[in-house]
Amino acid sequence: MYQYDTLDKEFLADRSAEFRGQVARRLAGELNEDQFKRLRLMNGLYLQLHAYMLRVAIPYGSLNPTQLRKLAWIARTYDKGYGHFTTRTNLQLHWIKLADAPDIMDHLVSVDMHAIQTSGNCIRNVSADPYAGATAEEIDDPRVWAEAIRQWSTVHPEFTFLARKFKIAVTASPKDRTAAKTHDIGLHLKRARDGSLGFEVMVGGGLGRMPHIAPTIREFLPANRLLSYLEAILRIYNRQGRRDNIHKARIKIVVASLGVEEFARQVEAEWEKIGTAPDLPDTELARIRGAFAPKTFEILPAVSEALEAARAAEPAFARFARNNLKPHKQPGYGIVEVSLKAIGETPGDATSEQMEAVADLAERYGQNDIRVTHEQNLVLPHVKLDDAPAVWKALAAVGLATPNMNLVSDIIACPGLDYCALANARAISVAQNIAAKFADQDRAELVGELKIKISGCINACGHHHVGHIGILGVDKKGEEFYQLTLGGSGAEDAAVGQALGPALPYDRVAGAVDTLVDVYLRERKDGERFLDTFRRTGVAPFKEAVYADAN
Amino acid sequence: MRALTANRLTDGEVVFWKQGQWVERFADAELFAPDDAEAEAAEAHAKNQITLVVEPYLIDLMESEGLWAPVSYRERIRALGPTNLNHGKQEEGGAFVEALLHASGAARSKGRVDLIRRK
Repeated sequence: MYQYDTLDKEFLADRSAEFRGQVARRLAGELNEDQFKRLRLMNGLYLQLHAYMLRVAIPYGSLNPTQLRKLAWIARTYDKGYGHFTTRTNLQLHWIKLADAPDIMDHLVSVDMHAIQTSGNCIRNVSADPYAGATAEEIDDPRVWAEAIRQWSTVHPEFTFLARKFKIAVTASPKDRTAAKTHDIGLHLKRARDGSLGFEVMVGGGLGRMPHIAPTIREFLPANRLLSYLEAILRIYNRQGRRDNIHKARIKIVVASLGVEEFARQVEAEWEKIGTAPDLPDTELARIRGAFAPKTFEILPAVSEALEAARAAEPAFARFARNNLKPHKQPGYGIVEVSLKAIGETPGDATSEQMEAVADLAERYGQNDIRVTHEQNLVLPHVKLDDAPAVWKALAAVGLATPNMNLVSDIIACPGLDYCALANARAISVAQNIAAKFADQDRAELVGELKIKISGCINACGHHHVGHIGILGVDKKGEEFYQLTLGGSGAEDAAVGQALGPALPYDRVAGAVDTLVDVYLRERKDGERFLDTFRRTGVAPFKEAVYADAN
Repeated sequence: MRALTANRLTDGEVVFWKQGQWVERFADAELFAPDDAEAEAAEAHAKNQITLVVEPYLIDLMESEGLWAPVSYRERIRALGPTNLNHGKQEEGGAFVEALLHASGAARSKGRVDLIRRK
């Protein structure tokens, strides 16, 4: 993985020292809350319902064991012994004390981590395919480009005070595991017929109050021109983004109001003016690429006898392998998905012990590589198939072997009203109730791929708009109600879900999901996922069943 | 009745006003009658305590099991801790915690409305 150089380390140390001074001035009363708030948010420190929350940046969701162990140690020492992985592949610590925050920053800096650009109206932490460097599907390693964007965007003076926050995702596979089309900019690496690398550039996606799927403004941008093109997009946005209305401040509104063609035209004109100056020199690109050089893999047979024997001997392992072990580009290796969605637990939460167990496994079996997914799970991207049974056993020992990837209980949920100051309703307990309904793994597998995404308010951190079943918590005269949407997708077939009907009270949501699944099982044709069936039948049979129950 | 709440500056802890002091337990909070101008006076005073608390505001209360509980569900969660894990203030247990857990009334939270207005 990419290693910070002396300059990076000095910068982080300076930044942490600066933050320590800011906190001291706030505690002494030299800064009031309004003055301090914008400074703490520059360092990912929020004030939530019960305590401060620190959002630690995990660039393109990539961690080494030392970093994950440090996060575990910080959670144990300064928090309540757990952390929450988010849909932006960051880690949130929900019980932080302001007085401890400067020390925590120093500890993060000691392992080349920080919380810069995890908040504020700047270019946020860049996300990338969690299978990067491991999947045979990709045509290039998206981390190379995500790292280039990270370097370019970090404290970029022109783009530190945008009209609103700005999120970029990079993928290089036809199967999109980054929700690229829901980002302000989604970049999809492609190869032209002449073999050259380039990006499909999608701009103006976003969820929240007004969901938009990003349209493509350029089919093929030569890869080496990426940074100047991003600069052109950001410059158009910085100039035209609505600073007068927070609800209309994202780039999606600029793209929608100008129209895609006009927006693209303005970007191209600006790009021409900018020239090639901001672009990455080949030497620098080569240096970054070197940090992501392919791992050294052993030459192994494609079929592992040890794996097959364990499959035959242990039905529980066979189920895990079926759902959580994904194909690797290298014969004899696999990608292990570590579910943070144990039935009854909080989606995305990991205890310090669990983080340490994953760090140990990455060291012992996984080439020191750990990824965080936007679906709030972890990934060990390079595990020998021979070692998969041992990895499974070790994961099971700490409650991390739930075999439910992409199944109904693999639910995205934001922290919701249990923690978040902006939430209208709880999301976590709704997820727990639904997961409990589908605790029977045979039934969950029978249902197949079904993505449920839950947000506790319209800001949509839980991506509800793009859930196959989306659930949005609303405040109805102070009570928790939930609006269900169907047919959304955050993947390559991205779509915004369609409302099912009137909002349901809290205690009816899990039952309604059960009913929706029953309708799907009744209506589905061979090979159809829930999403496919919905797209074929439309909302009518689902609506009828859920609201018939209500009458 | 009403109570005055805030988050403590140093650690973000949910705190309640009690005769010029800030206390952690809702059960210890000072209660103000709906028309008691002392509540607004305490709030105004608290807004100047910038080294002690952040964003103080008054919350409405209702009766629950013979005790008082915040009307807003959000405020009950603040007073108790999150519902997904039993490691907030609810850990302590007792009649006040039970009264809050069993309260079923609901209203919008002034804390959230203020937060959104300020954004």
